[in-house]
Amino acid sequence: MQFEMPSLIPVLPELFLLTMTCVILVVDLFLKEEQRVISYGLVQISLLLSVCIVYLTSGAEAEVIFYGSVIRDPMGDVLKVAIYLISAGAFLYSKDYLLDRNLFKGEFYVLGLFAVLGMTVMVSANSFLTVYLGLELLALSLYALVAFDRDSKAGSEAAMKYFVLGALASGMLLYGISMIYGATGSIEFPQVAKAVAETGMDNMVLVFGLVFVVIGLAFKFGAVPLHMWVPDVYHGAPTAVTLFIGSTPKIAAFALAMRLLVDGLEPLHADWQGMLVILAVLSMALGNVIAIAQTNIKRMLAYSTISHVGFILLGILAGTSKGYTAAMFYSIVYAIMALGGFGIVLLLSRRGFEAENLDDYKGLHDRSPWFAAMMLLLMFSMAGVPPTVGFFAKMFVLEAVVSIDMTWLALVGVFFSIIGVYYYLRIVKLMYFDKPTDDTPLTAGLDTRIALSVNGLMMLALGMFPAAILSICAAAVGSV
Amino acid sequence: MTFELFVFYVFAAILVFAATMVITRKNPVHSALFLVLAFFTSAAIWLLAEAEFLAIVLVLVYVGAVMVLFLFVVMMLDIDIATMRAGFVKNLPLAILIAIAMVIEIFLVIGSGSFSLDQFAAPLPLPADYNNTASLGNILYTEYMYPFEVAAVILLVAIIAAIGLTMRKRPESKYQDPSKQVRVKKGEDRITVLKMDAED
Amino acid sequence: METFYLIIVLAPLLGAIVAGFWGAKIGRAGAHWVTSSGVGISALLSIYVLSGFVSGSRELFNGTVYTWMVSDGLNMEVGFLVDRLTAVMMTVVTFVSFCIHIYTIGYMAHDEENWPGGSLAGANSYQRFFSYISLFTFSMLMLVMSNNFLQLFFGWEAVGLVSYLLIGFWSVRPTAIFANLKAFLVNRVGDFGFLLGIAAIALYTNSLDYADVFARIPGLADTQIQIFGDTNWSLISVIGILLFIGAMGKSAQVPLHVWLPDSMEGPTPISALIHAATMVTAGVFMVARMSPIYEFSETALSFVLVIGATTAFFTGLIGIVQNDIKRVVAYSTLSQLGYMMVALGVSAYAAGIFHLMTHAFFKALLFLAAGSVIIGMHHDQDIRNMGGIRKYMPWTYWTSLIGSLALIGFPGFSGFFSKDAIIEAVHHSHIAGSGYAYAVVLIGVFITALYSFRMFFLVFHGEGPRDSHAKHHLKESPKVVTVPLVLLAIPSVGIGYLTMETMLFGDWFNNVLFVLPQHDTLAELGKGIHGPNSMIAHGFMGPALYLALAGLIVAWFIYTKKPDVAEMIKARLAPLYRALDKKYWFDEAYQFLFAGGSRGLGNALWSKGDRFIIDTVIINGSARTVGRIADWARTIQTGYLFHYAIAMILGLLLLLTWFVIA
Repeated sequence: MQFEMPSLIPVLPELFLLTMTCVILVVDLFLKEEQRVISYGLVQISLLLSVCIVYLTSGAEAEVIFYGSVIRDPMGDVLKVAIYLISAGAFLYSKDYLLDRNLFKGEFYVLGLFAVLGMTVMVSANSFLTVYLGLELLALSLYALVAFDRDSKAGSEAAMKYFVLGALASGMLLYGISMIYGATGSIEFPQVAKAVAETGMDNMVLVFGLVFVVIGLAFKFGAVPLHMWVPDVYHGAPTAVTLFIGSTPKIAAFALAMRLLVDGLEPLHADWQGMLVILAVLSMALGNVIAIAQTNIKRMLAYSTISHVGFILLGILAGTSKGYTAAMFYSIVYAIMALGGFGIVLLLSRRGFEAENLDDYKGLHDRSPWFAAMMLLLMFSMAGVPPTVGFFAKMFVLEAVVSIDMTWLALVGVFFSIIGVYYYLRIVKLMYFDKPTDDTPLTAGLDTRIALSVNGLMMLALGMFPAAILSICAAAVGSV
Repeated sequence: MTFELFVFYVFAAILVFAATMVITRKNPVHSALFLVLAFFTSAAIWLLAEAEFLAIVLVLVYVGAVMVLFLFVVMMLDIDIATMRAGFVKNLPLAILIAIAMVIEIFLVIGSGSFSLDQFAAPLPLPADYNNTASLGNILYTEYMYPFEVAAVILLVAIIAAIGLTMRKRPESKYQDPSKQVRVKKGEDRITVLKMDAED
Repeated sequence: METFYLIIVLAPLLGAIVAGFWGAKIGRAGAHWVTSSGVGISALLSIYVLSGFVSGSRELFNGTVYTWMVSDGLNMEVGFLVDRLTAVMMTVVTFVSFCIHIYTIGYMAHDEENWPGGSLAGANSYQRFFSYISLFTFSMLMLVMSNNFLQLFFGWEAVGLVSYLLIGFWSVRPTAIFANLKAFLVNRVGDFGFLLGIAAIALYTNSLDYADVFARIPGLADTQIQIFGDTNWSLISVIGILLFIGAMGKSAQVPLHVWLPDSMEGPTPISALIHAATMVTAGVFMVARMSPIYEFSETALSFVLVIGATTAFFTGLIGIVQNDIKRVVAYSTLSQLGYMMVALGVSAYAAGIFHLMTHAFFKALLFLAAGSVIIGMHHDQDIRNMGGIRKYMPWTYWTSLIGSLALIGFPGFSGFFSKDAIIEAVHHSHIAGSGYAYAVVLIGVFITALYSFRMFFLVFHGEGPRDSHAKHHLKESPKVVTVPLVLLAIPSVGIGYLTMETMLFGDWFNNVLFVLPQHDTLAELGKGIHGPNSMIAHGFMGPALYLALAGLIVAWFIYTKKPDVAEMIKARLAPLYRALDKKYWFDEAYQFLFAGGSRGLGNALWSKGDRFIIDTVIINGSARTVGRIADWARTIQTGYLFHYAIAMILGLLLLLTWFVIA
């Protein structure tokens, strides 16, 4: 077999990030404890440079390289940029938290960057194998991150659960992939799609494989009934890690779904649409309802994530480019919202104190009116109150669902998001109408304050001008 | 029934038996040893499928390295198998029910003839000089280079994670620092001369 | 040229912004200087524009300044149309506004006395007041200078907003708050019609630009539309009537007039500026501007005519029994607005605008004079407590006399020309309702003279004020008050004589106001009149002049010679008196029907619908249900790994069974 060295330009962002990660890994070894901030700086610089590289290497045409393993297309570029930027934000927010808990170590960032790398591999995968490896890279990094605080029992327990269940789900996904490989004889998405289109939809093995793939996917998303890990992991992990897990991996999960279901198994749309309907309805219902009974904000946000996942699935299951656009918009917007939400949790935490309980938010307005307002915006956005961007995210998704004549599904979505409004507004009520139980001043650094303010105001700004991101998403999806 | 088929069924039967024993033995050491047996038989089945390299690697890596390490760990840890069993027994009926349903469904799908011999033509016999190892290597470093590299990164992450999670400095543990030892100077470091008042 | 017109519009806005936002910083003097100079600049430039039109050196300007947005082919723009009509309006608005700025300096000098001590709302009220009146000037200019319906509506609403703010300026007085709420709500009714009219125009012509719309109107003259069921309605009539409903709200025509008398709760300069001279005439201006639409619908014209005539007559009657000096003037304003509408109804648009202009001057004068009296009386507004003020306030007295004579249409004064032209135009008209209108406006002349001079004699003649304390303090108002009076008195006397020939019968409004030949009552009238002297001569031959003199004499007789006659008439005509005193029970009816009805409906919905069905059953009921479900459902999350795994497998099994096997 003659080997042709492919052009490496399309994977340059991944190559660069990998190189930088290894550099940081080594550099960090030689740093003294008080110089650790250099690694942190390098991490941020790498992420920002990666954004630039994506920008430089982007193009409207899709490029397939490495014998069909990798694809670089506009959707991938957009999602990568989103992942890089939101991860950078997540690292920024976590800095003070980690410093306060003696967790400010190079490994945290190295593992974080590997997770980012895994996500981007998934985003630009063009075969089942690449997708699977990217997923594992991400998952493995996250398992380690969840257990990162070794002295925390809850963290270890959560990591253990996450690991075991993740392995189970990963096994199911792999089993499904093997079935699809068996039925189509290929693991590259375009070939699989072609073969599926030829053999037709009544091939039982294909649908059998599809079920397993969807289950693997649903685990990654945290959709009901594969959501059980979500609350425990969100709760058990250090908040900095929860922030990271809660934000960008949702974008990666969206990419995963797009690659697996749309690129690879588009001809089976009728089947996976039905499955996603079940998962979406269950997620929205269970997520929103159980969130009400939570007293811990991390758990509450975990259930909130589950309900938001239901919405993302709604967009995907529409199966139209309008739906994909809406889902992409939703996942990016959700990542930004989650970033801000957990960012506030981090802001309120301090050495020896985790602002985990809802009661810790009492009277936040009296302590810091500005950040109470930011939290208000974030909660409104999550609840979907206009004119925040969350409203438009929900609206676009519902619009997509209505346009495929599944109005009942849109109504279900609206119904459960109305239930969901309750627990978001409860936070607002606690912040504004209750007396503070603790009046320690907020200690966050200037960078965190600025970033959080930008984050919060973005909810409003994007809500005023949703077209900015939406048109990017539409252009990116249109080329799929 | 050809001889090959006969051999396959024998190994397959042993494999299923060994796998069942792995999850039913009370003693974890026994389980581990049955797992070794399972690996061996699957290696044999791979040999039958003319995948010599994979068969050998399975024996070398899993049996030779992983399982030995595993046994070592299992023997070092004191695992209280009884409490783990409690939950197992309690949920056994449900689990069995689910398992049966699962098996039936898998059987319905796989047994429906989708993977029967008439669907897949038997592969052509390979020439005598065919080198399984070389072709695997060839394909790994060309067609699957990217996934291969990603897999390598995954291993790196595994190493980092393992070290990061387990290595810690305990103040009470004593260890040597060779560089300090080398830098020791005769006069002031080794001997300390204490001045004391002379006692009467 | 754009820049030039922009300066006219923006100078008052700038003043308003500076005085409004930095009022505390620049202080009182700073606030009145910045706003007065802004309006002063506008006034000077407006006069320059007008003089350009007079000398013929200025061309009509119609241009877009800024395109706000384009939606579905509909351009939404900010643009100016400056023609002779606009120039007249601009000059009137800015000139009166400027006089009022100056007057306000004196009137509001002790405004802090009107607020409870230490009131936060009263802080910097002086500066805020100036900011508001400048903002009003800006809004009014936007309204009159607009070249499209959208901007017209913006100006329409903006003046309404400022009016609302100013009526309730003394926000600590419950009556002021009630009055501004009332003005706001009543105007909502009108604006709803107005907006519907604009929508109909946009729908059928697909344009908001005046020129475009007017060009397409003749083509739509025969269009019929169906609104309710199968009845056919003429499109133009519907549009005309809808727009006029807007005008009825803003120009306080019956039955939407109820807010104007109450608006007198605001400070007097506001009554003069907004509720006499400018804003309330916006409706008149609008109808005149829309003459190319109204000309194609006699139905709409008749509607305008009948409403106008009714307003002119019945509100004038109420004026006779009022005792609050400002309310008398307010009812007089209502009545005069009715006259203007009558003029429009008989297609004598020029006469309507002419009366608008003269009325702006003399009514502003009367209001300011009333304000001057009020200052002298230390904010006592009851005319029964006044009398003999002539001695103490000579300037106010003489200017008031001029204003009153102009109002009743004494020959030679500005009001004479405009009012006589209207009456004669009605006389020459043949459209439906013109007979009724003619009768009513003639009697109206008598009534006008009666209530005007009733007030005049009661205030300035007779014995001194009853309250000796007030008498002791009575003195002429300061210069800042009297100078505007004089400034306004001059046009009140002379403007009619000077401009009547060009405006009524000349070519001043050619190409601006559109009149179909068969409606052209003014041309008919113009045949017998050549110049102002000829018109005065003509006046002696008609009944109007004698009716006015009769009214004057009756007023003089009753209120200076035999005050007991008034009491006697009151007793004889008790039911009529009650009707007038209660203003025909309009307020009570509205209060009962609309306010009471909607409150009743609201209460019913609140107690049954909201509190029981929504709150108890839906909100709390569903919240409790959801809460219970949530408490139950959270127990699924046991924390045991094998439960989680089983849940996953069950999910898998479920999907498998559903999709593969089934």
